[in-house]
Amino acid sequence: MSRCSRFEEATRREDPGAWRTFLAHASGCADCREELAAWEAISDAAPSLKKEWDSPRLWPRIEAAIAAQPSDTPVSSFRERRRLTWVPLAAAAALFVIAAVGLQVLGPTVTTPLTTRSMKDPLLEESALSEVEKSERAYVDSIGRLSRLAEPRLSQSDSPLFVSYREKITLLDSAIGDLRAQVEQNRYNTHLRRELLAVYREKQHTLEQVVREVKS
Amino acid sequence: MKIAAVSENRLFFFGPARGGDLEGESRSPSEDADEKALRERCGSGDVSAFEELYRTHGARMKSLAANLLGSRTDAEDAVQETFLKIYRGASSFRGAAKLSTWTYRILVNTCLDQRRRKGRAPDLTASGQADEPEAEIRAPAADHPLRMDLEASLASLEQKHRTVFLLFEVEGFTHREVGEILGVPEGKSRTLLFESKRELQRLLRRRGISGEVRA
Repeated sequence: MSRCSRFEEATRREDPGAWRTFLAHASGCADCREELAAWEAISDAAPSLKKEWDSPRLWPRIEAAIAAQPSDTPVSSFRERRRLTWVPLAAAAALFVIAAVGLQVLGPTVTTPLTTRSMKDPLLEESALSEVEKSERAYVDSIGRLSRLAEPRLSQSDSPLFVSYREKITLLDSAIGDLRAQVEQNRYNTHLRRELLAVYREKQHTLEQVVREVKS
Repeated sequence: MKIAAVSENRLFFFGPARGGDLEGESRSPSEDADEKALRERCGSGDVSAFEELYRTHGARMKSLAANLLGSRTDAEDAVQETFLKIYRGASSFRGAAKLSTWTYRILVNTCLDQRRRKGRAPDLTASGQADEPEAEIRAPAADHPLRMDLEASLASLEQKHRTVFLLFEVEGFTHREVGEILGVPEGKSRTLLFESKRELQRLLRRRGISGEVRA
């Protein structure tokens, strides 16, 4: 490492402006210049690690493997199960929305104009949102703990069951990533948050199944 | 100052990687439409869409998998397994992440699973060529004098550091894409890259390599 602390400090900052300031410093600091040269050499050499070779049989192999897939794959049955899981959830959510709207319209303590309420109905207000986000974080932390419990067996076992669990969790993580990205674009969208919650719940159940399998 | 100029031009690890999209740059509407169309075709099980995905990304997928697994045969198996997983899961794929990013995420997980199953670290010291004489690996246009040492040092890195280095420096993904692929924030990708380069530098120095080597 460079004897000058500015190098490490600059590389840890995520601000390109700070990097440019550091470059100005490096032009007058021999240690940092040397360090930069070493890092540049690694970056220059990295593309030479790319591997290229012809695989004329690979696509035909993949195509044949796809063709050999059964119509009712584990994932499609998983999708079916997930859809079934969402039916009662969606029904409960619809009931909740109807009840909430009914209370707002018919309740005795109505003070705000209907037009304002109707604009807020599908949205979460700021204080409610921070409550929701707090609960979500706690839930995600719990799933993280569950994940750590399941991880050793999940990663070590080669049994088809555990391979299938791993694939399912990969897909769920992917769906979680997508939904979280969408939620970040629209933090007030309750529909997206419910979908995200449902996927988290599915992941929780899957991890619980893994943990149960380990114990049995 | 020459070094400073070179570094600033490339923006080092803050800026775009080779071949990657500019970070922060949004995709053009036509790219979005193409991506959406391809995603929908994959979702409906259209095999020609998977072939298109393979034609576009197959070579890069093989390269990444070969570097993660240390064997071309294993790499091809991993690519095949990845396509099967995509085929099975494509109709449930929705959302903001690019189909390609999702594809690489599955590939990386598949490779890591494969390595766990085999319980071995990749043998990168021989470019993965010793056990597979049948397939010819084309050398990069201009081989780099550091390549062998870098490859050997890379094999000693922790998995997460090796993966980030391969994705960013070798395969040219941006930090945003690396973050999406590995399911970590963009900033974490930068930190991991920094740590991997620091460790590589230490390992290279131990092998008697200093920073002055140039291709």
